[in-house]
Amino acid sequence: MSTFVEKLRQYRKPGYYDKFDYHWTMTIDLDRCTGCEACMVACQAENNLPIVGEKRFAENREIKWIRIERYWEGEYPDVKMRFIPMLCQHCDDAPCETACPVFATYHNQDGLNTQIYNRCIGTRTCAVYCPYEVRYFNWFTYTWDEPLEQQLNPDVTVREKGVMEKCTFCIQRIRIAKDNAKDDDRRRVRDGEVVPACVQSCPTEALVFGNSNDPEAKVSKMMKNPRGYKVLEELNTTPSIVYLTKVHS
Amino acid sequence: MSKISRRDLLQYIGAGGIGVVGGVLYGESVQQNVELLIPQVVPPEDYSPGVATWYNTVCNQCPAGCGISVRIREGKAKKIEGNPVHPVSQGRTCARGQAGLNALYNPDRIRTPLQNVGQRGSGNFEEISWDEALTTVGSRIGRLKIDNEASRVRLLCGRVRGHLDELFLQFMNLLGSDHYQQYDFTYPSALMAANKMSFGTDVLPYYDIRNAVFLLSFGADYLGTWISPVHHSLAYGHLRQGREGRRGKTIQIEPRMSLSGAAADEWIAARPGTEGLLALGIAHALVSEGHYHGSDRDEWSKALQAYSPSLVSAETEVSEDKILRLAREFGTSTASLAIAGGATAAGTNAVASIVAVNALNYLAGNLSQPGGIIFNPDPAFSATAGSRQAGFQGMLDLIGAMKAGDVDVLLVHDTNPVFALPDNVGFRQAMQNVPLIIALSSFRDETTEMADLILPTSTYLESWGDDVPDPGVGFPVASISQPVVATLYDTLPVGDIVLSLARQIGGELPIHMRWGTMEEFIKERWREEYDQRGSEGEEQEFEAFWQAALEAGVWGQPGAVAGDQPVPLSSSMIASIADPVSRFAGDESDYPFVLHPYLTATFFDGRGANLPWLQEMPDPMTSVVYGSWVELNPVTADELGIREGDVLDVESPAGSVRVPALIFPAIRPGVVAIPVGQGHAAYGRYARDRGVNPIHIVATLIDDQSGDLAWAATRVKLKLTGERLQIIKTDGVTRTLGRQILGPENDHA
Amino acid sequence: MFDHGQPSYAEVNKDVLSVMLETGPKYWMLLGTTMSVAGICFFMPWIYQLFVGVGAAGMNRNAVWGSYLSNFIFWIGLSHSGTLLSAVLHITNSPWRKAIYRSAEAMTLFSLMTAAMFVMVHLGRVWFVHWSFPIPNQMGLWPNFRSPLMFDVMAITTYLTASSIFIYMGSVPDFAAVRDASTGLRRRLYTIFSFGWRGTAREWHTLGWAYTFFAIFVIPLAVSVHSIVSWDFALSIVPGLHHTIFAPYFVCGAIFSGTAGIVTVMYCLRKFLNFERYIGQVHLDSLGKLLITLSLIWSYINILELFSSWYGGTSFELEALQFKLTGFYAPLYWEMILFCAFVPLLILFKKIRWSWNKMLVISILINVGMLTERFIIVATSQPRKFLPDAFGFYFPSWIELSITVGAFAIFATLFLIFIKWVPAISIYEVKETLKPLRRDA
Repeated sequence: MSTFVEKLRQYRKPGYYDKFDYHWTMTIDLDRCTGCEACMVACQAENNLPIVGEKRFAENREIKWIRIERYWEGEYPDVKMRFIPMLCQHCDDAPCETACPVFATYHNQDGLNTQIYNRCIGTRTCAVYCPYEVRYFNWFTYTWDEPLEQQLNPDVTVREKGVMEKCTFCIQRIRIAKDNAKDDDRRRVRDGEVVPACVQSCPTEALVFGNSNDPEAKVSKMMKNPRGYKVLEELNTTPSIVYLTKVHS
Repeated sequence: MSKISRRDLLQYIGAGGIGVVGGVLYGESVQQNVELLIPQVVPPEDYSPGVATWYNTVCNQCPAGCGISVRIREGKAKKIEGNPVHPVSQGRTCARGQAGLNALYNPDRIRTPLQNVGQRGSGNFEEISWDEALTTVGSRIGRLKIDNEASRVRLLCGRVRGHLDELFLQFMNLLGSDHYQQYDFTYPSALMAANKMSFGTDVLPYYDIRNAVFLLSFGADYLGTWISPVHHSLAYGHLRQGREGRRGKTIQIEPRMSLSGAAADEWIAARPGTEGLLALGIAHALVSEGHYHGSDRDEWSKALQAYSPSLVSAETEVSEDKILRLAREFGTSTASLAIAGGATAAGTNAVASIVAVNALNYLAGNLSQPGGIIFNPDPAFSATAGSRQAGFQGMLDLIGAMKAGDVDVLLVHDTNPVFALPDNVGFRQAMQNVPLIIALSSFRDETTEMADLILPTSTYLESWGDDVPDPGVGFPVASISQPVVATLYDTLPVGDIVLSLARQIGGELPIHMRWGTMEEFIKERWREEYDQRGSEGEEQEFEAFWQAALEAGVWGQPGAVAGDQPVPLSSSMIASIADPVSRFAGDESDYPFVLHPYLTATFFDGRGANLPWLQEMPDPMTSVVYGSWVELNPVTADELGIREGDVLDVESPAGSVRVPALIFPAIRPGVVAIPVGQGHAAYGRYARDRGVNPIHIVATLIDDQSGDLAWAATRVKLKLTGERLQIIKTDGVTRTLGRQILGPENDHA
Repeated sequence: MFDHGQPSYAEVNKDVLSVMLETGPKYWMLLGTTMSVAGICFFMPWIYQLFVGVGAAGMNRNAVWGSYLSNFIFWIGLSHSGTLLSAVLHITNSPWRKAIYRSAEAMTLFSLMTAAMFVMVHLGRVWFVHWSFPIPNQMGLWPNFRSPLMFDVMAITTYLTASSIFIYMGSVPDFAAVRDASTGLRRRLYTIFSFGWRGTAREWHTLGWAYTFFAIFVIPLAVSVHSIVSWDFALSIVPGLHHTIFAPYFVCGAIFSGTAGIVTVMYCLRKFLNFERYIGQVHLDSLGKLLITLSLIWSYINILELFSSWYGGTSFELEALQFKLTGFYAPLYWEMILFCAFVPLLILFKKIRWSWNKMLVISILINVGMLTERFIIVATSQPRKFLPDAFGFYFPSWIELSITVGAFAIFATLFLIFIKWVPAISIYEVKETLKPLRRDA
């Protein structure tokens, strides 16, 4: 009984995953980001995002795990365009995680906010609660025009109608890297060994991904940048994505 | 217990037997095809189930020539990533490169040779066999050759580099026709011409954005479409944040904000067509304000006399202060670089404008300097000849020849002039005069639809080939392109088709072109290349070298910079300076707006429109998907009473298109912009009948010096049609409403 | 108490039981109509939606919750006054409750069932709805008790159970009356239903005690149910939903709409089942006063909500506020204010309060207003959350509209079946209110 209580206490401790090996984190340097959207297509290719068609776009039902948000500043001629990639922030205090009645979304020991498609019953509460609006619902079962389905990544599930989905930080790549580390008798995954599809493709190297528990990791160093901030920080969701603000000159 | 009599027993056995047989027969009749989890009992040797393999090859989605790695699982291509050892892409890819898989697995690919059976252009095709197709073509061309009429055979292809280019050339030469041309709408003809004038070199130089501190771009969307976007993006990232404590600055001068304009610190919308003049104004200020210290200072100041900032300011509508400030920053930065492209390189003054920009580089003293213009050494392949780009003038010649009936056989490969030429040059109509049109193509685009015979080519992911990136990266590089998956359909790589045709035509062709396949040909050429360079590098068997090059996908000699770089003479530069103001087709009173067609980062010049991932990728600047739009300044729109979604007739002297309006905050009043890429009449289910093609209404003005099409020199007028159309966007409200989304204001520059 | 003279005990039995025992063609036609409307408008679109996916509805990326959820809240709200009112009035010994409470409780039950239907319709994968119950399984999977939706499941099932028991318990003596008045199969059936009720003093005593106990038990439950439903919204951080006032707001709104619902149902009972003698002016008058009170509380909370949004002063809340008051759905918002805050004030006039027809109109308007209130909560907050780039819009599809209409038919069907199985007015409690008959009178 006492061990049980102890376990429970440990579990309930905020940031309980700290004692684990990893806390996956991403930094996005907005001073590098050009809004080219290579990340969006990379994500689509890696994670079997459906081709929803023109009609679904018109209905505002597209599925893009990472999207580029656009904000204009000023008016012509002193007008500026600001891009900000928006993807699941993998919040440590995620509003979506408390919302799901069936635990289809939960926080794993690596600091990832995970989504279990098989468990999802489609209440969509998580999407309502998410302040970043990065959760995408499968309003239909999407199909691929033959033979486009041959491209589908066998490491990633194809989702059916009625299921919520979102960015996983390419958890399949994390798993492969961990397996490789284990095969090599290493305890940890090396820095840079896990690269999500969006980070991999980014032509300006604006996105950096890594384990922020490791002080030597590139991402940890990037996080210390004084330009760093978190989107909607005032909501206290403690996101795992640190943005580095654009420099105004 | 009841007894069973023998008769009963026999009856039971009989009935049972009938039942069993009947059941088996029934079971057999309803049995479905067996689907096995792993279809092969003995799996192919080149893959093991569940294990991914990576093959390096070359991307063909745009002419940049990025090296890519393709992830293969169970013999299927799953993902394209940049080849980390390739000096152009350095492990990165753009959206278009990623979408290459959509081209490979496109449902609208041509799967067998096709023969047109209806009227030309009607799209009625019938499947035929390769034998039949090759015999038809071979005998037709063979007869022409025997009759010494081979010059009536023409070969038109897109931008082809590497040994495929040589193969084409050899084929046409052996045939006895010197009509081998290339046409690529995006080819920087004006830039080549201007550089030839300024620097006296035929090779595109390497623009070292990476090490630049101050980048002045005249219309060149170097992050989206200009020359080598992925490489430039890498360089841009480094320019911004790659150097500790030293953030590079970029300025973009263009009438409509492109991706590069959005990334720039300052976006300046000079009057369209005067960008070159602005460059001269800046040059004037550079010299007069004493930022240039060369010995030829006086000559320069004399040459630039007419372009004082105040005069230039009046013409360009950029304030004098701004010109002076740009000149000061450009002159004082440690590494300044000016580039020109886009609309600046597409006016009637294109060459003059680029020459003016080149002059800026000269005055900044950045030639052959880090962060400046670095002249590429000779390409990696010694045998590579100069470009065979037809340019607009060449296309007009071809059209003339076709109209005059001088063309008997037209071979078209990987280019789509019906789409990428203005309507009124009449390429499509001229094609009607050609007795036999043969398309070597993977997709039924507008030009392929006009063909009599379609020889389906394999995509670049199924073909052998090689490539020399153009521009190079400052040292000799060559990439190998290899098939990453087995050919999906009854298609052949284009090189193999040419070789087959050579065999079919006979004569001396198969003797000289003795290779069975493209692979053999390329390997032999690389072997020759290897033997020539034999002394360089460590001793190694060719096979080992070849294997290593295949694995890496690229071969290069970093550090092998050409010893004697051309030092351009200022006298020739000064002499080439001309008044760079563009003329426009259409009278300003009748056609009050300047049409600004622009290449998009999504579809490039329209070749990406058949890829669903790109159709579903929101336009980077407007977030529009699946369609075309015309961009208007909010003030202009207000004055004309136009709201977003109002369908407008955009009329130029050369034609008109009907397209919905989009209010775009970052476009100069008096300019309307339409993206290039949509508006296909064919090209598969994802592209067909979607949006409009602004190239079609471009007036056929040409650049004064290079003869290239001045596609940014057309005026248009707008007419409200009264119709409305929903523009499909993914964006909601594009203002932050004061919310701290983009981070606290800060200045760490 | 009785507008048309006091009936005798026998007449009470006859009046009430005749509804159950005599069924005319009109009834069958009505039942047939409601059932087919329910089938065509509710179940057919739903089955279609099950096949294609929830995309058949108008919800989208920016508004993943839509009219199904607003309908769910509406029906939960409608369920409120029945059992709650009955219990409160029972404890406070208000005699006018007795003629109406049975139907009111039935309303509770059936609205809850209709609401539960909407949960099903709302879900993306309704075929896995059982996962939201704590059913032991070898995977060791358990529902998430931190989720407000889980609270919902618990609260609603508890409320449904308690309400069912409450209405059943109160009906036992009446089941006995039916048993005594009928023959054959029905008699056998009601023998079982009535648990062998004989009407002894001990039985009456036990019933009274148990009934009062349940009445007390049910009150906090009812309050908690709608508080919990409000937490589905309030526990989110969505601007416009994240208000502490939401629980009382929803409870008050629920009772408000439920009370209006009772007026409507009473009108129908009176009109179509000839209960004029039992449901009279006094009921209407009391319910009218209750409606005014609730309307005032409701208005107060609304003002408070607007005020706290404005006083909070964040861009998020202000935007949500502005969109609600002046955006696309502003006409609906002001319609709601008109119907729920101003129209009920008319009840202050006795002339209106005492008119059945006018009260019917007002009661229906109130529920129209309450239905829009729920819709506005769902439709105006979600599309305007935190990131302006993700602002969107929501408009229900025809499937949603059809299902909304169909739900009323389901409710009506259940009610029509109910009046044939359970005495729609409590016979024994009505009798309690009769003045004792004097033998010499």
